[in-house]
Amino acid sequence: MQSKLNKYGYVFILPFFIVFATFTIYPIILTFYYSFTSYSGFGDAAFIGFDNYQRLLTDSYFWEAFYNTIYIWGINFGFQLGIALLLAILFSDIRLKMKGLSFFRAAFYLPNLITIASVALLFGILLGWHHGTINHILLDLGFISEPINWLNNPTTARWSVALIGAWMWFGHTFIILMAGISGISNDYFEAALIDGASRLQMFFKITLPLLKPIMLYVLITSLIGGLQIFDLPMLLTDGRGAPQGSLNTMVLYLYNQAFRVNNYGYAAAIAYGLFIITVCFSLITFKAMYRKSVKGE
Amino acid sequence: MKKVLLFLLISVLTLGLAACGDDDSSNGSSDDNSGDKETLTVWSFTDELEPAIEAFKEEHDVDVELTIVPIEDYPTRLRPVLESGQGAPDIFTGELVFVKEWIEQGYWETLNQEPYNVEEISDDFVEYVYELGRNSSGEVKALSWQTTPGGIFYRRSIAEEVLGTDDPEAVGEMFATRDAMFETGAKLKDAGYRLFPDEGAVRWFAQGQDPEPWVNENDELIMTEGRLNHFDYAKELREEDLTAFAPEWSPAWFAAMDGPINYNAGWDEVDAEATTEVEVFSYALPTWGLHSVLKPNVEDTAGDWAVTSGPNPYFWGGTWLGMYSGSENKDLAWEFIQMMTHDEEFLTDWALETGDVLSYLPVTDKIKDDFSEDFLGGQNNYTFFLEEAQKIDASVVTRYDQQIDTMFGSMVTEYVEGVKTKEEAVQEFYNLVRNSYPQITTPDQQ
Amino acid sequence: MNEQTKKKNKIIKSIFYTLLVLLVIISFIPFYMMIVNATRSNADILRNGFTLIPGQAIVDNYNVLLEYMNLWRGFANSLIVALAVTVLSSYFSALTAFGFSVYKFKGSNFLFVTILVLMMVPGQLGLIGFYDIMRTFGFLDTYIPLIVPPIASTFTVFFLRQFLSSVLHSSLIEAARIDGAHEFTIFHKIGVPMMMPAISTMAIFSFIGSWNNYILPLVVLFSPEKYTLPVMMGALRGSQVAQNLGAMYLGIAISVVPIMTAFIFLSKYIISSISAGAVKE
Repeated sequence: MQSKLNKYGYVFILPFFIVFATFTIYPIILTFYYSFTSYSGFGDAAFIGFDNYQRLLTDSYFWEAFYNTIYIWGINFGFQLGIALLLAILFSDIRLKMKGLSFFRAAFYLPNLITIASVALLFGILLGWHHGTINHILLDLGFISEPINWLNNPTTARWSVALIGAWMWFGHTFIILMAGISGISNDYFEAALIDGASRLQMFFKITLPLLKPIMLYVLITSLIGGLQIFDLPMLLTDGRGAPQGSLNTMVLYLYNQAFRVNNYGYAAAIAYGLFIITVCFSLITFKAMYRKSVKGE
Repeated sequence: MKKVLLFLLISVLTLGLAACGDDDSSNGSSDDNSGDKETLTVWSFTDELEPAIEAFKEEHDVDVELTIVPIEDYPTRLRPVLESGQGAPDIFTGELVFVKEWIEQGYWETLNQEPYNVEEISDDFVEYVYELGRNSSGEVKALSWQTTPGGIFYRRSIAEEVLGTDDPEAVGEMFATRDAMFETGAKLKDAGYRLFPDEGAVRWFAQGQDPEPWVNENDELIMTEGRLNHFDYAKELREEDLTAFAPEWSPAWFAAMDGPINYNAGWDEVDAEATTEVEVFSYALPTWGLHSVLKPNVEDTAGDWAVTSGPNPYFWGGTWLGMYSGSENKDLAWEFIQMMTHDEEFLTDWALETGDVLSYLPVTDKIKDDFSEDFLGGQNNYTFFLEEAQKIDASVVTRYDQQIDTMFGSMVTEYVEGVKTKEEAVQEFYNLVRNSYPQITTPDQQ
Repeated sequence: MNEQTKKKNKIIKSIFYTLLVLLVIISFIPFYMMIVNATRSNADILRNGFTLIPGQAIVDNYNVLLEYMNLWRGFANSLIVALAVTVLSSYFSALTAFGFSVYKFKGSNFLFVTILVLMMVPGQLGLIGFYDIMRTFGFLDTYIPLIVPPIASTFTVFFLRQFLSSVLHSSLIEAARIDGAHEFTIFHKIGVPMMMPAISTMAIFSFIGSWNNYILPLVVLFSPEKYTLPVMMGALRGSQVAQNLGAMYLGIAISVVPIMTAFIFLSKYIISSISAGAVKE
């Protein structure tokens, strides 16, 4: 009877696997196939071997996109995690007993809920040059003496994207860190308190080591998401990576090659390039975190 | 491939959902068409057809749905729809920059065959306009009602004040050469005005010096003297501070048409004379700039404008109309195209109302002599533009224009901003072209 | 503790609170600018720079905006898609997770590990092939490419299975079987209620994910009346509305304010879900 009922397992998971095979696995395989062709989106796909991958390896625009993506993600993640950690230390301090956690959590989380397209549009006009609100305010306050063309200089443009990203995500990271901290037993802190440990000692000796798994989670999800950054650079400037290609990220490059100039075959190769890079980075991160935690213990 | 097998699987799976989806879309469209009238669907990239559609609805007692897609996304959106036929419009328009590509594809119905026989009426059109709708195998795919030579629209009151005259011919003299244009710009600047809203305006007077297509029949990119000059002109405009930093199509660009805009706030230290507000003297715009750009965005300065010629003739844009080859509504679609391009009564009204310069000769011949445009202080822009239209050489249009113009424009900007030297900018431009179109060879390889 | 430390703590605390409030203000300034500018005319914004006081052009701006694009339509579209995605992915993920936890069948481990591995694959990898398949089936410009694929949400299945393995008692299921209940009845009557806390956590993620999704609807939808809100916002940028800063700000505000309002009522729930999602990991 038991084994007969076990057949139901297949029935239960069947819908999932049909959809999974059709809309996830098959597209991935098809994309792989196209990456060896000069497919233009319409008509036949001519097989051209490794030409697309060869081009990818020497394509300065792709490597520039890679550099931009990492650059933007790095700054973004630094600020996002830094602010979130500071907040988490503050709110988990057993001596201070800060109140209003749920209010602040909610307030900081809010930007994360807004459609990124709206955020990009909003900052696109707020950051205007002679006619942007942010420049108007900075001028009125006397912080700058002439308007800054934020979105026309590669450095300020990349920083803008990164900081907008950090603004959107630090609340989310803060919530996750707090969730991790609330999982740490209060006994540790009480004991440390009795031993007369300082705030910093408590943080570095207790909180941080115990938060390691959750930090790894934050790092990996942020990395995978960060490597795929698209919405902000697409909508903040001309959608082609202006200024000077500094906002040309890997997925934006993929999108433009596929849907703007119809080089589907090459775009497919870009997708696989992105995939390989993602896998490498994830592995490196895992390894680094793992080695550290082994040493630490 | 195993697409067939997959198709079976999916069709079973999504039977229920497809029904839901269909419900959705039929709900959507039933909002718009109450009753059982015939419906014509039109896709375009501007709202300029709206009045014509209203007139057509009334006359034929049908419904017309106009879908407007921003021009930047227009080809990206339209192509898959035409390819699949799903939700495809009966009529779709093509801007000059797309027309060349689209006439070569089968999306537009061929019009020089039964029952349309457009060759019989071809003599009624300005020749280049008609010929641009013809593809390499001789089929006519699209027609247009307008002709699009360009000029310089300027503010009469400012001309009177600074240049001592507002007469189009006299002002045209002051724009007759490149040097004259910059001189005039300097004069305007001294009086606190700006020649152009931004540097983009000079592209026509640089590239128009020796017009050549971007790409020739051997897939070679052509770099002309005029295009190289474009870099210098733009730089000069910026360095001599002759513009108002209001980039083309930006809110500031539009606002500057109707009055002063905020300018160089905070630059007072650099130049004690500088004011925080500035007015723009002129815009380089073609025929359609009058009715679809200036008129809708101008209130206070209406009547204070005039149009004259720049250092060289140029033309810019234009909308072609064709019907989708897979349309089930071809008769009605043809009615609409005829009205828009070949209906004397309608086109006369259209021209008189909008000031649009038509390509349909029977009407232009009739109205050109005593045309008077209130917006331009009573000037006859018709004779002016029809003369300019004679100078148009449409052979320079290629299917790459939209993308390549964009790339070129952004490299000019980088040079103007001082990020790149001219050589670097040109080289980067070649790289960009090759990256998007690997089949094109650029001058640095030739 | 002595008085001095207490006093010192109080001062430190008030400094921290000030900093926190400052951070909140920074978080909200962009929204405030947006709302003020949404009520001002284009000329006003361009001529006078920024002011703290709202203007009177909101009705004009609204008319300019609506003349070109019906944002409420985009709202409705996004809502329909996001709700459908949430319901489908929740139901089918629960079904799959239940199948994996309750039954022991050949290959179940292999299949589950496959899911785990593919969870790591970035969503953009199959985009080109996905688009091509959708075109072959004629599903472009419909909501099918947005609604159906989330039926197979690897992360949700993974999360629900982990959850189920900690709360599922086989005795409950055995008892139901003895009462003669069908397997599907058991799933609906016992499995779903048991997983409900985890399902609602994942439902929130699905909803937010679908609501904010930009690249997929951008690629598969063509007709403006079918655009979801993010795509509509993107299209605003190149449209005639972009000529008028006030109308542009208003458009952005319309896309943002309802979400902010909804969040005020749901924030507790959403945040505890995110916390739960992170810790269960």
